[in-house]
Amino acid sequence: MEVLLKLSEASKTVNSGSNQLAILDGIDLEVKEGEFISLMGPSGSGKSTLLNCIGMLDAFTNGGYTFLGEAVHLMKEKTRSKLYKEYIGFVFQAYHLIDELTVKENIETPLLYKNIKTSERKALVADMLDRFNIVGKKDLFPQQLSGGQQQLVGIARALISKPKLILADEPTGNLNSKQSEEIMELFSELNKEGVTIIQATHSEKNASYGSRIINLLDGKILSN
Amino acid sequence: MFKNYLKIAWRNIAKHKIFSLINIIGLTIGLSASFVIGLIIYYDATFDDFHPDKDRIYRVVSNFTSPTGTFYNSGVTLALKDAIKDNPNYEALGSLFMKQPMNVTNPETNVTIDLPKHVIFAEQEYFNIFQYNFIAGNSSNPIESPNTVVLSEDRAKQYFPNVEFTQIIGKTLVYDDNINAEVTGIVENLPGRTDLVFQEFISWPTLLQTSRKQDLLDKKWNSTTSQSQLFVKLSPTASLENIQQELDKLAKDHEDANSKKYGQETHFDLQALSDLHFDENYGLFDWSAARTSKSLLYNLALVALFLLLLGCINFINLNTAQATQRAKEIGIRKTLGSSRKQLIWQFIGETFLLVLISALLSFVLTKWLLEVFSDFVPNGLEFELITSPVVIIGILLLLAVVTFLSGFYPAMVLSRFNAVSVLKNNLTLGDKRAKLRKTLTVFQFAIAQVFIIGTLIVGKQINYLLSEDMGFKTESVVTVYQPITSRDFSKLELFGNEIKTVPEVEESSLIYNPPASNNSNITDFTRKVDSIERYKEVFCLYGDTNYIDVFDINLLAGTDRKNDTIREIVINETAMKEFGFENPQAAIGEFLDDYDGDPVPIVGVMADFHLSSLHMEIPPTVLIGDWYRPEWHQFQAVSMTLRSDKERGLSTGVSNIEAVYNKIYPDTDMRLEFMDETIESFYNREKKISKLLKWATGLSILISCLGLLGLVIFTTNRRVKEIGVRKVLGASVFQINMLLCKEFLILVGIAFVVAAPIAYYGTYEWLQDFSYKIGISWWIFLVSGMAMIAIALLAMSVRTLHAASANPVNSLRSE
Repeated sequence: MEVLLKLSEASKTVNSGSNQLAILDGIDLEVKEGEFISLMGPSGSGKSTLLNCIGMLDAFTNGGYTFLGEAVHLMKEKTRSKLYKEYIGFVFQAYHLIDELTVKENIETPLLYKNIKTSERKALVADMLDRFNIVGKKDLFPQQLSGGQQQLVGIARALISKPKLILADEPTGNLNSKQSEEIMELFSELNKEGVTIIQATHSEKNASYGSRIINLLDGKILSN
Repeated sequence: MFKNYLKIAWRNIAKHKIFSLINIIGLTIGLSASFVIGLIIYYDATFDDFHPDKDRIYRVVSNFTSPTGTFYNSGVTLALKDAIKDNPNYEALGSLFMKQPMNVTNPETNVTIDLPKHVIFAEQEYFNIFQYNFIAGNSSNPIESPNTVVLSEDRAKQYFPNVEFTQIIGKTLVYDDNINAEVTGIVENLPGRTDLVFQEFISWPTLLQTSRKQDLLDKKWNSTTSQSQLFVKLSPTASLENIQQELDKLAKDHEDANSKKYGQETHFDLQALSDLHFDENYGLFDWSAARTSKSLLYNLALVALFLLLLGCINFINLNTAQATQRAKEIGIRKTLGSSRKQLIWQFIGETFLLVLISALLSFVLTKWLLEVFSDFVPNGLEFELITSPVVIIGILLLLAVVTFLSGFYPAMVLSRFNAVSVLKNNLTLGDKRAKLRKTLTVFQFAIAQVFIIGTLIVGKQINYLLSEDMGFKTESVVTVYQPITSRDFSKLELFGNEIKTVPEVEESSLIYNPPASNNSNITDFTRKVDSIERYKEVFCLYGDTNYIDVFDINLLAGTDRKNDTIREIVINETAMKEFGFENPQAAIGEFLDDYDGDPVPIVGVMADFHLSSLHMEIPPTVLIGDWYRPEWHQFQAVSMTLRSDKERGLSTGVSNIEAVYNKIYPDTDMRLEFMDETIESFYNREKKISKLLKWATGLSILISCLGLLGLVIFTTNRRVKEIGVRKVLGASVFQINMLLCKEFLILVGIAFVVAAPIAYYGTYEWLQDFSYKIGISWWIFLVSGMAMIAIALLAMSVRTLHAASANPVNSLRSE
């Protein structure tokens, strides 16, 4: 399996008043394509920050980060943005759908930012709706859906641009156990199809879906 | 992508209805004002812009400077043309003479038209300066020889109905019953807006057959009338500087002895064709057309700009205040791959949509506003002007600018949000943005406040102007003029006698001009005492011996003149002082030398009264009779006082007067002027300014208060929980209301502090135009400030009272 991304001595510090606070401290991590990794750890251990930094929404303050062999920490904003638009999808605990857009439009949005033609966009969105069995809900707004359905849309949206990597920050945190199970089943199915997944979770059960578990504490990797 | 933006923009507009409405109202008001005012400016700025070589066409005008001031005359002495006609700097010189014929007759049909308008005597070269398109007839030299005339299309149709244009050529018209003119050409109307309103061009040599023959033969350097005008077209290589030097030299060389003695100088100036429409020193050819002044246009543009800015500010304030509500969407879009640039364009697109909606509303409103503001709108301005390409491009540019002004800053703020912190819900609200909002709000209210103070002070001054005692009787006094075509003094005398039989008429007087009018008649008198010579320009009033009674003028010393035609004068107090008499008694029996140097005895001194608007100081004035009878009759009207009869009112009096008039002057319309209306008309310009200010005030208050309301809605919504807690702790509705309004009232207060000096300065400058004026009193400022605070409080209370009186249980339970 090819290496998807690699972190070496990656750290993130923030200034809190006059003190420097290390949120991530010397993380060494290699993720191969097709892995399903679960990040575990108590609140404040740095799971979300690590996900955000890997997802290039945030940046490490120190250390190296290579994605598909390219050095992300040396990249310009524009190239980085191109890279993550192409290869990374996000799934959030609070779904983070755009309230003003319908299900269909929410799923379509990433394609708009990739400048994909209308006809192709329509086809891709239709496929996705079909695959997730939400064709009947395509014109509803997020508030009209249950939490599980919203997360389904969130995942559909993350998948629409055919990413290599999905970053999921406690994707089932707001869902009941039945909904959680469905979502996790979906993730493992996607993983089998070849999508690399990194999820942050509190739940042992959810973590068990993954192929590897990484425990974080105070910004350091405890066990790998 | 674009469709997606449009969709989300529309949904956002629909979701925040109140905010959208506030934004749209503000922008619509600003845009409507800009459209209307832009149209007016465009209309006025594009007069006579279509002439070939328009940059080389000038009118030569005369300016006279004397120790008492500068006088402007749009005409030039007839002598000037001969002096410059061989000068290579000029490519063409075209003299015009404005002499309105009394009538024109088509001898074939025997139809006579009285007082045809816009008839001029013109030199052939006029057509070399201005390109007219000849529909029929000789276009090379149609008015070279005497007794020829070129007509406009419209006139040709009017005088020769149902005759083909080519058939009209060669036919004859008769002016003033004895001047024949053969129609040698018919021209199309000029292809655009023009101040060259002439319709009939009688050949220049024909002028020798009129009463102005002698003027044309003499060509005196010291005689200037606005009737005689000169247009010139400079050669392409001519230098304006050289030409001006030549003209200055000509003026200097031909100065007469008297002018030198009294320090008067004549200047010939070149007035560019593009200045013709705006220069207020010289009248338009169509003097009945309402005049637009550059300063009025400037003020209008300023009002439009302010209203537009106020609308933009509302937009900026409400959008930055609401930013947190959009933060989540921004965060998500960023994680989905949107760049900051894309987000900026999205928000600017949303702004543009709102601006576009406002613009469409403004289009509809513009049509209506052009009617409401008809006193500001030039007569020929049609709504359809808005479809001309330049205007459309202008509007598109304006929309782009407004979009940028209102949308750019909010877009920058919104797009700057950090995706991670937004989605983690730990967004820190910038203190800086709140500061900017406060500054902009202060700016808005400062503008509104300046307008309020301005309106009150202008209103007070106008009130003073209209209520100030003119010094003579102005109520129930009417003046009836003889028809302009009538030269028969016996008829006027008859009318003056007959009018006395009308029961409502109390007293009457034959006059040339009432004490105050829009015309002034100036002559000069000199007083020689020993070796000292006092030379003064003096305003003349002409009237018979009833004049003083009819207008209730107060005689300070002496008597009125013995009869209507005797060479005696009554002077006013100012004249008495300026000619150096110690007191009224001292002037009686003394002499002033008239224009020709002949002494005239002073028989009386009258108290001062105003001769015109209160802009002007009371000038030295003399009351004169009809000296030159029977060669020349000065009197042209009858002034009379009407018995104020409450039951019957003035209308029966007027209709009785009309009956007498129609008996003597059948088939003419009576020109009757009420003295008090004439005086009111002096202040039309002030009334316009007042109307403009009232609207500007109302609209700026409306926009600013709507903006304030929007901000209050926003902060109140954020503080619902706080309000609930405070109520539970025992706060009253009033206390909570004040709590919510306090921070905004402070802003309104600051705005007052900013506005007061600006308003003081502005109104002070404006008042300097008046010789007689009100003081700027402090209480006006106090009242304006209180009013502004009260209005702002009222606007905010729409929302805050509701919030303050809500049951706290509801807001606290919703946890």
